[in-house]
Amino acid sequence: MDKLVQSVFSKVAIHGDFKVKDLYSNFMSGAIKDSVAVVDQDNFPIGLVVKQKFLMKLSERYAFDLYYKKDVKSIMIKNPLIIDCNEDINTIIDKALSRESENVYDEIIMVDGEKKFYGLLSVKELIIQQANNLANIILQKEIAHSKAKELEEINNIKNQFLANVTHELRSPINIIIGIIELIKKAYENKEFDKIQLYLKMIQNSANNLKIIVNNILDLSKIEAGKMEIINEEFKVGELLRDIVEYTKVLIKEKNVDTVISLSNPDLVIKSDYVKLRQILINLISNSAKFTEQGYIKISQELENDHLIISVADTGCGIKEEDLKKLFNAFTQLEDAKTKRYEGTGLGLTIVKKLTELLNGKVYVESVWGKGTTFTIVLPKF
Amino acid sequence: MKKKVMLIDDDINHLITTKEILEDEGFEVNIHQSPFGSTNAIREYKPHLILLDINMPGLSGDKLAKLLKENELIRNIPIIFYSSNDEDSLRKAVKDYSAQDYICKGDIFKLRRKIIDFFKENKF
Repeated sequence: MDKLVQSVFSKVAIHGDFKVKDLYSNFMSGAIKDSVAVVDQDNFPIGLVVKQKFLMKLSERYAFDLYYKKDVKSIMIKNPLIIDCNEDINTIIDKALSRESENVYDEIIMVDGEKKFYGLLSVKELIIQQANNLANIILQKEIAHSKAKELEEINNIKNQFLANVTHELRSPINIIIGIIELIKKAYENKEFDKIQLYLKMIQNSANNLKIIVNNILDLSKIEAGKMEIINEEFKVGELLRDIVEYTKVLIKEKNVDTVISLSNPDLVIKSDYVKLRQILINLISNSAKFTEQGYIKISQELENDHLIISVADTGCGIKEEDLKKLFNAFTQLEDAKTKRYEGTGLGLTIVKKLTELLNGKVYVESVWGKGTTFTIVLPKF
Repeated sequence: MKKKVMLIDDDINHLITTKEILEDEGFEVNIHQSPFGSTNAIREYKPHLILLDINMPGLSGDKLAKLLKENELIRNIPIIFYSSNDEDSLRKAVKDYSAQDYICKGDIFKLRRKIIDFFKENKF
């Protein structure tokens, strides 16, 4: 009803004994525009005058003289379409469109709850309004559809993540449990040399587990907005040299060189040392994991007030279609069941989020089969 | 004659620990560290039971189970999935790939129990 009330374009009505000549001059002067409702003493609608029809009628031969002094009742449309203010817009349009062709005119009369005249509505406007509504509904449907698709995708990613994480968390724990069983047995049998081997295995598994758990906890902390940034001044060159040493540990006996290139070896920056270290460790861990030969190069440059650190490797590279989803949480590019590389797929998400927390940006360039370069751009102060 | 178990897993840690635990129970255990080449290894070793990991690079254990079930010479050897995956997904895999059973990695009690029971119920 509210919508209908808003669509009312005229509330002017005249009484049935209003003179035709007066209406004529009202139409001519523009005081009444295109149409006017005719009501009785009690404001019940009894007819409608549409300017065009009215003038046509008067232009008939002798008509002007005939009607000139008469009441408007004599010339009005006596059976106009009257609709109730509580009617639904579709019904109204249906009614308006199903009128006999000689009775078709744009205006319809709307009455209030007591059937008294309320105002005039335009069928054309109602149809436009309805078309707009329809367009909105279609739009809403489309939005809903794309939202549903988005949710489905997120859901898929979450499920995939769950599958990944479940396995990645359980696997080292299960190894640890198994090894403990063996240690117990070896101890009973006094096979101490075996115990030493088992302890080494247990240590590896525990370290793996630690990395995974830390990643998950870090990301949760970032997502919850609880990650604090503590800025301090430090020599970035020293950090990068540390990182190179750590890279050497990670690549173990693989035939991979490490290269460092510092354009400002003594540069002091102000940032969060721990977070930057974590960003870089995540990047070089990836490089070490995916590079079988060639080199891993860490370089530092300065551009205006920005520090640029890049980690480049000659590893397996990333396919172009995979680059887009690289930083999405929980997507490891491989299927959980057949993936070759361990990991939860959280490392790069953490890199991106941490870099953003440091007011920086991370970029990636990669050629499938040739290698990957990650670049971190940070404010110097 | 010893009861023979074939263990297929890509992770050497799991292979070593599981092998030792089962050998301790008196089973003969042969390990194969990849889904690939497992058909030949099984045909040569002729195990009574295959303990099959699911997450393996290149070919997942459930898909491998399907291939094994399609192989005339191997299809009758019962398969037990042995994985760190979610238990529900293992239950489903048992159904979908007509495996004998599943064991969750890390549950050493069940590992022993299920293998022992298997050989009690099936005389070879």
